[in-house]
Amino acid sequence: MLFNSYPFIFLFLPIVLLGYFALGRRGNLAPVIWLALASLAFYSFSNWQFVLLLLASIAFNYLIGLLLIARKLRPGRRFAVLSIGVVGDLVVLGIFKYAGFLAANLNAMFSTGMTIDILLPVGISFYTFTQIAFLVDAYRGNVARYALPHYALFVTYFPHLIAGPILHHKDMIPQFERAEAKRPDAHLILCGLIIFAIGLFKKTCLADGIQPLVALAFGPATPSFDQAWIGALAYTFQLYFDFSGYSDMAIGISLMFGIFLPLNFNSPYKATSIIDFWRRWHMTLSQFLRDYLYIPLGGNRHGRVLRYVNLMITMLLGGLWHGAAWTFAAWGALHGAYLCINHAWNNYGPAVAPRFVRLANIGAVMLTFVSVVVAWVFFRADSTSSAVMILSKMANPTVLVLGYREMFACCYIFIYAGLVWFAPNTQQVMGYDHSNRAVGEPLTRLRQPLLLYGTAAMLAFGVLGIQQHSEFIYFRF
Amino acid sequence: MSISGQNLFRFLSVGAATFILAAALNYVIDPLQLFRPAVLYPARYSLDDRMQNAGLIRSQDFNTVFIGTSLAVHYRASAINDALGVKSVKLAMSGSNSVEQSFVLNAALLRRPKMVLWEMDDWIFRDAPPIDEDKFVPADYYRMNIKGISGYLLSLDTARESVGILIRLLKPLDRLAAALASLQYLKFGSGSIDDLNTLPANVDRTTVYNTANTRKSFDYFAAHPSEIASGYDYDAMVRGFERDVISLIKAYPGVEFRIYFPPYSILQFVSMRDFSPQTLQIILKFTSLALERFAQLPNVKVYDFRDAQEITHDLDNYHDVIHHSPTIDLKVLSMIAAGDHLVNRDAPTVSVERLKQQVEAYRIDAIER
Repeated sequence: MLFNSYPFIFLFLPIVLLGYFALGRRGNLAPVIWLALASLAFYSFSNWQFVLLLLASIAFNYLIGLLLIARKLRPGRRFAVLSIGVVGDLVVLGIFKYAGFLAANLNAMFSTGMTIDILLPVGISFYTFTQIAFLVDAYRGNVARYALPHYALFVTYFPHLIAGPILHHKDMIPQFERAEAKRPDAHLILCGLIIFAIGLFKKTCLADGIQPLVALAFGPATPSFDQAWIGALAYTFQLYFDFSGYSDMAIGISLMFGIFLPLNFNSPYKATSIIDFWRRWHMTLSQFLRDYLYIPLGGNRHGRVLRYVNLMITMLLGGLWHGAAWTFAAWGALHGAYLCINHAWNNYGPAVAPRFVRLANIGAVMLTFVSVVVAWVFFRADSTSSAVMILSKMANPTVLVLGYREMFACCYIFIYAGLVWFAPNTQQVMGYDHSNRAVGEPLTRLRQPLLLYGTAAMLAFGVLGIQQHSEFIYFRF
Repeated sequence: MSISGQNLFRFLSVGAATFILAAALNYVIDPLQLFRPAVLYPARYSLDDRMQNAGLIRSQDFNTVFIGTSLAVHYRASAINDALGVKSVKLAMSGSNSVEQSFVLNAALLRRPKMVLWEMDDWIFRDAPPIDEDKFVPADYYRMNIKGISGYLLSLDTARESVGILIRLLKPLDRLAAALASLQYLKFGSGSIDDLNTLPANVDRTTVYNTANTRKSFDYFAAHPSEIASGYDYDAMVRGFERDVISLIKAYPGVEFRIYFPPYSILQFVSMRDFSPQTLQIILKFTSLALERFAQLPNVKVYDFRDAQEITHDLDNYHDVIHHSPTIDLKVLSMIAAGDHLVNRDAPTVSVERLKQQVEAYRIDAIER
């Protein structure tokens, strides 16, 4: 089921909210079980064949976690149990996500004739990562014993299940245990609706709205210089509004249940460096990769050379997490290289004179943005050769069309650029503060009617913009 | 009520009001003309034939329905009217299958036309999904049920087209609307129903329709023989034919059905002869059966132009092995009007035998490149 669908907005969400608050009057556990069951129902609407896999994954990780938390095992055995858990998770992920890719490459190299075609369970990358983090923390002794319903809800919680944000058990489970969250709060419901409205508008109006321009670069025809740039920029904005729109919707829905989800985006195209970009883009994935991959690999603790190696490994694997294809590996490798250059520049580059700081910042934003756009070409292209072809067109200003259509498309691109560079982001508009569990402060100010009515119109346009066949891009990962 | 409760109420009220206003705009402008013919503004038409047909059926005044695939989509309704002395509406759909054609035709027949002119290809009977699983056909627009009406009125796409029509009323913004249409932001780009999906007047026909293009298409099939046979299954075709054609014709005994098999270039069948003889056998067997079945129905006249040698052997008439030029459109219409190639009820498969002989006799090396 999609957030941007009539059955979800007008049927599923109201029923689950009513059931949750009605059961909240009877106790603290029933609403949790209700929400977990509703989440499974949400998942099974379009992925019923993988519900058993999801349940098996929850049972497996919960048991492994229990062994690590409750049993006093010797260090060697603890590590063995952790290894079984993590390897088990990765094997399942590997089979569903990477077996086909591996077989295709073996076939290309050795003409094995082997093909593997396995349907990818939606959300498997997200729920595998959240549970690996749980196991590692349980091994490190950082986890208290959780009740099974709370753990099951932590994994299946429908606002995040399909495409994140990647949740952390320490953040979520205590919130599920709070009795106050089970009582309806008009303020949180209103704020949740407004954030949901902004997210829905981003998805159905902004992301779906710019989508036709993407074909100028990534369509069947060979693009000119201007068409290649328009298409690449259009995809850059489409991906941002699609994924951040989804994240806003997830945060908004969750807020109606009194649960604060972590932020996933913080105006990433305003970043002044690639390091800064990764603190603003898909933030929960960046945090996961940092805490559970980069730091265990050694992080920056073993000298600069190994730090760069660790960065490259982390970003390569981060790229492959998005999908089993060489284009994603190239995208990850490119960002790994960017990060290495960025760190090297921070270490060895000259300092900027104070009077040029403002100018340097503008230049840094532009350079970061262009670097990100170049990398997105690999992310979006059907193959690395097609990405290289598009990039070669982007580097060749001699072939220019710039007809009326392209000029109009440029106007469109400028409007979107204005939005990502100069407009406040959702959390700024709504005063959403995840760590302090606060939201809605701007609603108390003078401009409140504008915010209220503007976002109400956004909700209406967002619902009107719902199309039958418009999935979120990140559902594929 | 708390302040938050009041704000929540206001938020939902404004959201609902905006929603209703957009629906009202869509109802008043009605870009697809589902509710009424355009009178307040010059009508615009979409090139998306599967959607546009729903509006044409409800807004046009007609006594004849013309339907078919891409081989019919370039015809002008005015040419049909002139040739046959009728008032027609063109509902042809590129790449359509028999399920789609039957569904659209059924919706049009509810308007009680006197005649159906049906351009019929053998490949439309290859297995197709039920109409409600066909994502290209907005079936509920044709049915005009609650789902269809709400889907049409409560849609940003419709609202965009409504605003587009208003923009076009302001002359200085006409070029903006044209640019929006070229980027597919506006779908209702055509101002003339007669020009809909026809070959633009500024296109040089000799560069589109010529022997070289036709031969290139033949060579393509020579290199990809499996594509010729793709989807041809005799039993499935017969099932589709009985379900989508025969039962429809029988349901409207008062309507005259004029059905024609179009004049493909001879290379269509020669490519089968040389690269997929089994497919050729399926087609000949299937069309023989179809002709025999049609001969039993009193309200059907069939024209088989596949053996019209003067057309099919002149490869300059074609863009590829099947698609003929607008000149042939007119010729086909004049032949229908004159009763040429009308299939004899007492010997319905004579044309199939003639075609067989022509295909066997054709020498591919005789083509002048």
